[in-house]
Amino acid sequence: MAWAGMNWGLFKIIYQHTGEIGLDSGWHEHEFFLFLGTIWIINSLIQTLFMANAAEFSELIRTGNLDFALLKPIDTQFLISFPRINWSQLPNGILGVMLIAHSLRELMQEREIYFSVFSIPAFLFFIGCGAVVMYSVMICLASTSIWFGRNQNLYNFWFYITNFYRYPMEIYQRSGVGMALWGTFTFVVPILVVSNIPARILAQPLGTPWKSWEWGLAAYAIVGSIWSLMASRWVFKQALKSYRSASS
Amino acid sequence: MPTIEIKNLSKTYRVYQKQEGLIASIHGLFHREYREVHAVKDINLTVEEGEFVAFLGPNGAGKTTTLKLLSGVINPDQGSARVLGHVPWERENEYRRKFALVMGQKNQLWWDLPAMESFRLNQHIYCVPKDEFERTRDELCEMLNVTNLLGRPVRELSLGERMKMELIAALIHKPDVLLLDEPTIGLDVVAQHKIQEFLKSYQQEQNNTILLTSHYMKDIEALCKRVVIIANGSIYHDGSLEDIVDQFSGDKIVTLQMHDDRSLEAISKIPNLIEIDAPKIKFRVNRDGVGRVLSQILAEHAVDDIVVEDPPLEEVISNVFSQAEEKSRREATHSNSQ
Repeated sequence: MAWAGMNWGLFKIIYQHTGEIGLDSGWHEHEFFLFLGTIWIINSLIQTLFMANAAEFSELIRTGNLDFALLKPIDTQFLISFPRINWSQLPNGILGVMLIAHSLRELMQEREIYFSVFSIPAFLFFIGCGAVVMYSVMICLASTSIWFGRNQNLYNFWFYITNFYRYPMEIYQRSGVGMALWGTFTFVVPILVVSNIPARILAQPLGTPWKSWEWGLAAYAIVGSIWSLMASRWVFKQALKSYRSASS
Repeated sequence: MPTIEIKNLSKTYRVYQKQEGLIASIHGLFHREYREVHAVKDINLTVEEGEFVAFLGPNGAGKTTTLKLLSGVINPDQGSARVLGHVPWERENEYRRKFALVMGQKNQLWWDLPAMESFRLNQHIYCVPKDEFERTRDELCEMLNVTNLLGRPVRELSLGERMKMELIAALIHKPDVLLLDEPTIGLDVVAQHKIQEFLKSYQQEQNNTILLTSHYMKDIEALCKRVVIIANGSIYHDGSLEDIVDQFSGDKIVTLQMHDDRSLEAISKIPNLIEIDAPKIKFRVNRDGVGRVLSQILAEHAVDDIVVEDPPLEEVISNVFSQAEEKSRREATHSNSQ
């Protein structure tokens, strides 16, 4: 929660110097805080449901206790993904919901925001897509423990990668390096899409109706989620083939 | 169709050879040296339904690796294996419902929760109907005398009690094949004996196929008719315990209780003497010469009692291990020189 507070404070300071992140991107202060709230929710879901389990997975490999997961007549990826729920990470998600509610109220006082009966279900659906993509990234990172024997830097890698999905995608679209990052995190590892789409559904930075590329991006978010899950499953299965099991 | 069928199965590990010291560690970042460890080398084995087979071998012989291959935990480099008609490393759920692996040195129960919770989880994972689960659990708990411990957190159980709970957790779905890797390791003789008794009666009752690795010869003597000796990843001998004693022990141990000190004194210079504990004398005699030596002694001295027995199994097995290791050393030297 302290981290969330610092995060919010930092961007509050930044918005004292600028009205918008990215030229004509539409990401003004309230739109951006709505985006930030979305990120907090996705992060909170991942950290509540999967983070501790992914770290534990590395330990299972190091100690050889993954053997017992492999013996059970149940999907191994499922078994290692969900044994524990880390409830202490849930408050960040609740803060995210509060930040979104507050930002939406402020936004609606400033300008017209279009809502339909599908807005909230669509937002939740794309939050789910986001969680799926981030879960897939985490499984791929955790699977590397099988090849390396242990992965003490799982949290660090997670931090480095998630750094790129915490901002509206427009900030990457100004330079060659930025475009390369945008392309990588949109089409190869689609973490940018799944953080941007749910936020765009509520914040509508470019107004309504959505532009055709926004609709395309939303469709790609669904495809990207499925592709990420399939890719992570493939990586996990390939890694299991190299499992050596620690000596007993 | 045999329950377990292994053909030319091999598993080699590539192990990083780290040198000592900081400079060597930095060097290791750029140039890594590996050594190949042939944990299992081209083994062939067939086990029929209902057999209780012991896997014996020194540490690092390949016993546990073989069990891990048969349970599908690791993939082989070459060869094939079928257990109950399934290829283990394909990890089909249908196969995983039919076998269990118990490892004496690893714990699969939830450490902070009572064993009952782990049993219940296994019930759901293995889709055991509630009535059947409760019946099996109660039977097993009664056989192992642990009913009163079901509610105690696993971390508060003794090693013996924990191993009994591990066995119950593994047997709750009534596996057709049971792979036991040193299930009595570290247990006191009473706990060892109880687990032996349990395994014996359970196997007779269920007629399941069991592969057991153990370093305790008492386990092997009590439970297994067939013994497979594995050394340096290869099967060195496959037969009954009696075969092993006959084949690998050329001697018998003879203990005589002499009638008086004079007789004892007279034969105290006998070759291959083991010990004298008056009025008893113990010595080793070549298996073929037992009759001749005894008739000679009986003709010349007064003897009250005679005991002729095989050497301790530990000693025989130790000899077998030494011979097996010597053989594989010779083979390695031979193949290197070619």
